[in-house]
Amino acid sequence: MLDTLLPILLFSALALAAIGAVRRVRLWRQGRPSSVPVIKGLMQVPRRYLVDLHHVVERDKYISHTHVATAGGFVLAALLAIVVHGLGLDSAILAWVLLAATTSMFIGSLLVAKRRSPPPSRLSKGPWMRLPKSLMAFSIGMFVVTLPTAGILPEGVFQSGVGWFAALVLAAVIVWGLGEMFFGMTWGGPMKHAFAGALHLAFHRRPERFSDATGGEHRSTGLKALKLDDESAKLGVEKPADFTWNQLLGFDACVQCGRCEAMCPAFAAGQPLNPKKLIQDMVVGMAGGSDAHYAGSPYPGKPVGEHKGDPHGPIVAREGTTLVDAETLWSCTTCRACVEECPMMIEHVDAIVDMRRFLTLEHGNTPNKGAEVLDNLIATDNPGGFDPDSRLHWAADLNLPLMSDKKEAEVLLWLGDGVFDMRNQRTLRAFISVLRAAQVDFAVLGTEERDSGDVARRLGDEATFQSLARRNIQTLSRYRFSRIVTCDPHSFHVLKNEYGELGTPQTPADYHVQHHSTYINELVVAGRLTFKAWKGGSVTYHDPCYLGRYNGEYEAPRDVLRALGIEVKEMARSGYRSRCCGGGGGAPITDIPGKQRIPDMRMEDVRETGADLVAVGCPQCTAMLEGVVEPRAAIKDIAELVADALIIETAAEKSPQRQEAPATPRPALEVTP
Amino acid sequence: MPHDVSNRAKSATPDGLNVAVLVSIGRHPLTARTRRADQDARAVEMALTLEGASVSLLHAGQHEREHEEALRGYLGMGIDSVNLIQQRPQADVVPALADALREGAPQLVLTGTRAETHEASGVLPYLLAEALGWPIITGLAAVEKVEQGMATVLQALPRGKRRRLRIRLPAIATVDTSAPAARQSAFGPAKRGALEPLDATSEVDEALAAWQVQPARKRPKRLKIVKSSSARDRFKAAAAKADGGGGQTLSDVTPEQGAEAIFKLLKEEGVLR
Amino acid sequence: MSDLIRRDPRREWIIRNRLHPQHQDMLAELGGGAQTSEWMGPHGVMRKNPHAVGFTGPNGIRRIDRSGAQQAAQAPGRSAETKDARQRITIDTPDFMVAVVPDMVGGRLSAHDRDLLGLARQLADADPSQPGAVLAVVFGEHKETAFDEAGIDRLLHVEGERFSGYLPELKVATLQGVEREIAPRYWLLPDSNLGGGELGRRLAARLGERPAAQVWQVETASDSPTGWRCTARGAAGRDDITRALPRVVLALAECADPVSETRHACDPVTLAQGLPDILGRIEDLGEVAVDPASVALAEAEFILSAGNGVKEWDSYHHAAEVLGATKGASRVAVDDGYMPRDRQVGATGTWVSARVYVAVGISGAIQHLQGIQSCDKVVAINLDEGCDMVKRADLAVIGDASAVLAALVKRVEQYRFEQQENRDAA
Repeated sequence: MLDTLLPILLFSALALAAIGAVRRVRLWRQGRPSSVPVIKGLMQVPRRYLVDLHHVVERDKYISHTHVATAGGFVLAALLAIVVHGLGLDSAILAWVLLAATTSMFIGSLLVAKRRSPPPSRLSKGPWMRLPKSLMAFSIGMFVVTLPTAGILPEGVFQSGVGWFAALVLAAVIVWGLGEMFFGMTWGGPMKHAFAGALHLAFHRRPERFSDATGGEHRSTGLKALKLDDESAKLGVEKPADFTWNQLLGFDACVQCGRCEAMCPAFAAGQPLNPKKLIQDMVVGMAGGSDAHYAGSPYPGKPVGEHKGDPHGPIVAREGTTLVDAETLWSCTTCRACVEECPMMIEHVDAIVDMRRFLTLEHGNTPNKGAEVLDNLIATDNPGGFDPDSRLHWAADLNLPLMSDKKEAEVLLWLGDGVFDMRNQRTLRAFISVLRAAQVDFAVLGTEERDSGDVARRLGDEATFQSLARRNIQTLSRYRFSRIVTCDPHSFHVLKNEYGELGTPQTPADYHVQHHSTYINELVVAGRLTFKAWKGGSVTYHDPCYLGRYNGEYEAPRDVLRALGIEVKEMARSGYRSRCCGGGGGAPITDIPGKQRIPDMRMEDVRETGADLVAVGCPQCTAMLEGVVEPRAAIKDIAELVADALIIETAAEKSPQRQEAPATPRPALEVTP
Repeated sequence: MPHDVSNRAKSATPDGLNVAVLVSIGRHPLTARTRRADQDARAVEMALTLEGASVSLLHAGQHEREHEEALRGYLGMGIDSVNLIQQRPQADVVPALADALREGAPQLVLTGTRAETHEASGVLPYLLAEALGWPIITGLAAVEKVEQGMATVLQALPRGKRRRLRIRLPAIATVDTSAPAARQSAFGPAKRGALEPLDATSEVDEALAAWQVQPARKRPKRLKIVKSSSARDRFKAAAAKADGGGGQTLSDVTPEQGAEAIFKLLKEEGVLR
Repeated sequence: MSDLIRRDPRREWIIRNRLHPQHQDMLAELGGGAQTSEWMGPHGVMRKNPHAVGFTGPNGIRRIDRSGAQQAAQAPGRSAETKDARQRITIDTPDFMVAVVPDMVGGRLSAHDRDLLGLARQLADADPSQPGAVLAVVFGEHKETAFDEAGIDRLLHVEGERFSGYLPELKVATLQGVEREIAPRYWLLPDSNLGGGELGRRLAARLGERPAAQVWQVETASDSPTGWRCTARGAAGRDDITRALPRVVLALAECADPVSETRHACDPVTLAQGLPDILGRIEDLGEVAVDPASVALAEAEFILSAGNGVKEWDSYHHAAEVLGATKGASRVAVDDGYMPRDRQVGATGTWVSARVYVAVGISGAIQHLQGIQSCDKVVAINLDEGCDMVKRADLAVIGDASAVLAALVKRVEQYRFEQQENRDAA
């Protein structure tokens, strides 16, 4: 009986799955078109899955092993089951392999079950609690039904008395297993992640993120430009259907593992944002309906079940509620911790900025000081509304070389809007003294410089960003320099990753941009700086999001600190897991209230290390962390620490032994490992 | 758009209030870039927040690129079109505006107190009121209600005070910086909104030719006038450093002494009313 | 008391004669009881008695302070006598009139009004052969007693119940009457937001004159048809427009120096036609009470700002109410939820430009200090003498915030009470 039933069950499950798949694909195709290389993408799936995705999953060894056992076992078991039971290929070897695969899957499902007893808060409940049992049902069912084929049980064991009964039970178990694994995969069950996930990897909107055989850094973090001249193009995303289809596919791939939620600084601060819920809301919007079935942590302070949407309805209502509230979108600091953590490589920040773009460009509804900041950027090219001609007033005594005089320089020092902030002026002064000590040929743009456009872009004002960027590119195109160095990771990121798209053949915008910590490190390595021994207390280092996660620069600042003789006491969350200071993405401007402040949490992280001083490399981080009430660790920019430790050789230069000056010992280098 | 959402019930007149806003080309105080004029934008904001009002925007001037950008700033507030009364450069726009208002017959005309470019004397609304024979009030802070051809409004006085006025419509009201700030101008509506040019006679303002205009000079700071008859006192007053140096710190004083010192300073500065 | 200086030749003689038995007494009398150190000699030369000046220093050595501080403390009688030595000017038959309509803030001439009257005097007195007279038009009740000292030759005081409140239409009609009867050569009004700016524009529109607004300088100019040229701010303060002085002038504060050297007749004038009777289309329903706390921070003149050091929030709020100050807050106070976000002062909040900024319990983070850069006077109340706010402050009181605030409240209430009494008495 089972011999006839099994193929029917298998193939009907597969047929239903195929119907579901078509339906699912049609849901995704509601999105705007986006051209992707279909065949090439599909070909890439195994590599992207086994290398890039696994690289992320691997950070959690337990779930990595679990997933290898379960998913590997399942894929193999499913294929073999089709061959062995579906097509009726009576091969003992294959049957044995199938047994092994189901065993592996069973062990995996035990591990899955163990992780969920009890489930940590970041995991979704609901249907997901059923999944380990379904996995067991499939693996046990397939295992038992294969036993006769493998010759362990006699053929026809399920055709007599007790066997009949056992066969019925077994059939029921297999139906359950097949239902979850095949049918559920394309009809919206938890296994959907496998189907959507695989295709998401194939058609990812940022294929640059995936490695290739050549190795090297693979990073793609710059936001994509809107075509503002195109009359028909939508300004950002208003409705779920305004996302491109592969973005929708990406949302559908979410496994609700909650790693993003665990890392999100806004969620931790009690602001109404949970990246996982946001992605699930996008799925709800894409399919139409309410969020009542969502079984994970809600947005802090917003109960589940009050929001609903449909693919062609607005995501954010001008009045009242629809799918998502505006303050959810404005809570994001664009720190990319969620994207970095996401094992499905979903692009949360892109989606959030897309939706912000619509709110700013169409609704004109940037909250709190957002509107004022944008107006200032338009009128004065800086967010504070200062007189652009006063850009260099802080440096009146420094006699900075101007690009407009020199026309060319080795280093173009991009000062950033920190020039208007008295705290940041200290950092800039320090860095300039470092440059002078190393006798670097540098120049600044002075009053020709404008805001890089970072804040405007993160606040969704693509028009202002592009206007600023284009004018900056024009200015930069007039001068010759071999690299741009800046103390502001936000300007760094925008200049490095987001200007390129706006360049023209006449004025290309592909610059060699470096953060000051990277550049100082180069100077140190080249032996152009001499340091006194470090006498201060213990130091920890806070990774700026736009330097670390956005641009992968984790080591240079640490190398510089080591060169100063500082041993960095790492915070629990550092490197790619560094917690945001709360200053990115215009978050301090939109200022969505939460239960606590993000910088306070970060200073708590600092306190746990017992460090007396936090080294930072970003004006935003400095401002946010210094805003924490004392007593707290002191905050110093890397440039300040370097400048304080400098042994300036002016005296040596004036003395007769001028030639020997470079040969003076560098105590700092002695402690460098 | 906020101004046409339901809730027309509160409007007293059956057809809703017909509001015209006169808008001009603004100029940023620091960078001199053209923009929507701050006070005019506040006037538009005030008009948009009037429940059940139908708002039309009027601008008299030239149709040129730089101006268009500034006018689009108003469109970005959620306005569909701006009526552009075409005028030659250096034209006296009062007759053209008066004609347009006579024709459009709005019940309420809102505009900023003073322009941000050219003469910016702030006389235009008064000339219009005189030409049309309508009453005019300054510093409109809020329109409380409109009924039977009368509007009850709040007028802003210095230091945040308010005065309630009843004014017969049609009327002109000017808005200054004490009115609520203008909403954000969004890029999308600004790009889509229309400028509807209207032809009108254009009278050249001849007086302008006789004027000399140059960038503002810094005004000399007035020296303290010392009425003392003693030459020494006058000299000392003239030569004295202007409030130089650090402040005074009172430690180890009783709260009363401290309070007395603060009180003295507050009184000297005239902030105690 | 008479203003005339009376001389007593006998007394002067005794004072000159050191051998006269009454010499010391007379000197003492002159010095108001104390020894006189300086007096006018017979030939108009100042005489000094070095024994009468100075004081005994801490080491028992006699010290003479030559800064004049000691001297200023003495010589009381004389200054009172010279006070009103100003020239008294009466212009009986003026060639023309210069009309000024002062704001009369609080019923008194404001500094702006006085500047304007100074300008009016310049215009009136330019040609001594054809003297003009300054006419001031004052509406409603006033408390001013020194119109003569401000340079007013003629005063048209338009009184009556009808002139209280906001009556721009009636006022313009009255000024129109003045125009008909007196026809001043110039109309000067303060370009203020206290009524003058509005009234001036209304008047100009009514008279069909093109006014000059925002005038800050008036000079003689031979090439001008009026003999005068004015410089006015245009384009929201970015431009200066120089042009012939028109008939109606709206001038800014400090457009001219106020009158100080002369006193004027201040003869009352009345209108022959009486007051106009017009149908007002604007009806004043009275002032509306406004909470000073609701005034936007950026516009506020007087801010009482609270920070981390404030523990008793009720007493802080009470103090702000009594002082009539706008409330501000440091970032920490806002983050902790004691104050709303729109009250935050600083680079990350609102940049304020108050005349007086009182920082209570604010240590002065650099972002905060940047936000108060353009405040005139900063007062700090803080426990920590070393904090940055105290360094920035013009006046710092070291002590417990609530105690100082309570004392300040008491002091201000007492002052208010005294003022009330004075007003009642007056």
